[in-house]
Amino acid sequence: MKSWWLVPFCKTLHYFGITVLVGVVGLVDLRIFGVAKGLPLRALQRLMPWAIISFLIAAASGYALLRINPAISLGPPVNVAFAAKIVFLVLVVLNDVLYFATGLKRQVDGVGAGQSTSASAKIVAAVSIILWIGVVYWSRMLTFLAGAI
Amino acid sequence: MHIVEILQRWTESNAFFTWLRESPSVWAYPFVFFVHTLGLTFAAGASVIIDARLLGAARRLPVAPFARFYGAIWVGIVFTVLSGVVMLVSDPETKLTNRLFPVKMLFVLVAIVLTALLRSRMSSVDDAESAVPPRMRALAALSLLCWLGAIASGKFAAYF
Repeated sequence: MKSWWLVPFCKTLHYFGITVLVGVVGLVDLRIFGVAKGLPLRALQRLMPWAIISFLIAAASGYALLRINPAISLGPPVNVAFAAKIVFLVLVVLNDVLYFATGLKRQVDGVGAGQSTSASAKIVAAVSIILWIGVVYWSRMLTFLAGAI
Repeated sequence: MHIVEILQRWTESNAFFTWLRESPSVWAYPFVFFVHTLGLTFAAGASVIIDARLLGAARRLPVAPFARFYGAIWVGIVFTVLSGVVMLVSDPETKLTNRLFPVKMLFVLVAIVLTALLRSRMSSVDDAESAVPPRMRALAALSLLCWLGAIASGKFAAYF
């Protein structure tokens, strides 16, 4: 019989990871859209390693939750929301990889205090926001579709 | 009669809240919960990053410009509180008799008050000074604790 606190503990870690992740991504994306222009983008984007670490914490705790209670996500049949969440997460990672690989991240690093970012940067930021909202949406639907709100 | 009973009877006779509570539609309770999650992860996330900066992380970033993020943070807080109230009213008995609920509410209340306090002091932080004033650092540390406390008590509440 597993300890009662294991699931809420993993969920709390999962949320902590998501919170820091959304915090970094949210602030960087907002700055790309021109909020808090006093912040130079190179220094702000230096927060990205925190986002990566918190993503890993969220992924690890998410995996733990999956192992503790696989039926909620994997069924059978596979929970549609779980599948959709994974798809959105893959797209998020793809969006970020492209951000680095195309050199756009380096271009944005050059945007100093008071300056504006390019249209491409704004597009990538908008896609990032939309995809993350999708991840949160499907995460909420996951428990609902499994019958446990 | 106990206030919780009064509220419970009222919500059970209210058409909207009955629909919200009992409908299998994703646009009912789940959607409200989704808005709550979205609002809180952004409000808490952004606040926690700013708190970390005030506590000395990422020193290359000037502090005063962070004040501009609070507009968005307040929007997040408003959506979180509104959706929270809607969920509470739809099912007052479960929430109000939960032992962790008042703990969560205390964390949330203090976090919101601290948000206002930090915002009001942030634009006057002089980055030519080497350190953030000790009182602001104390507020930031408390803010960090309260946001994380609110999240943790929210997750553990279902088990109490």
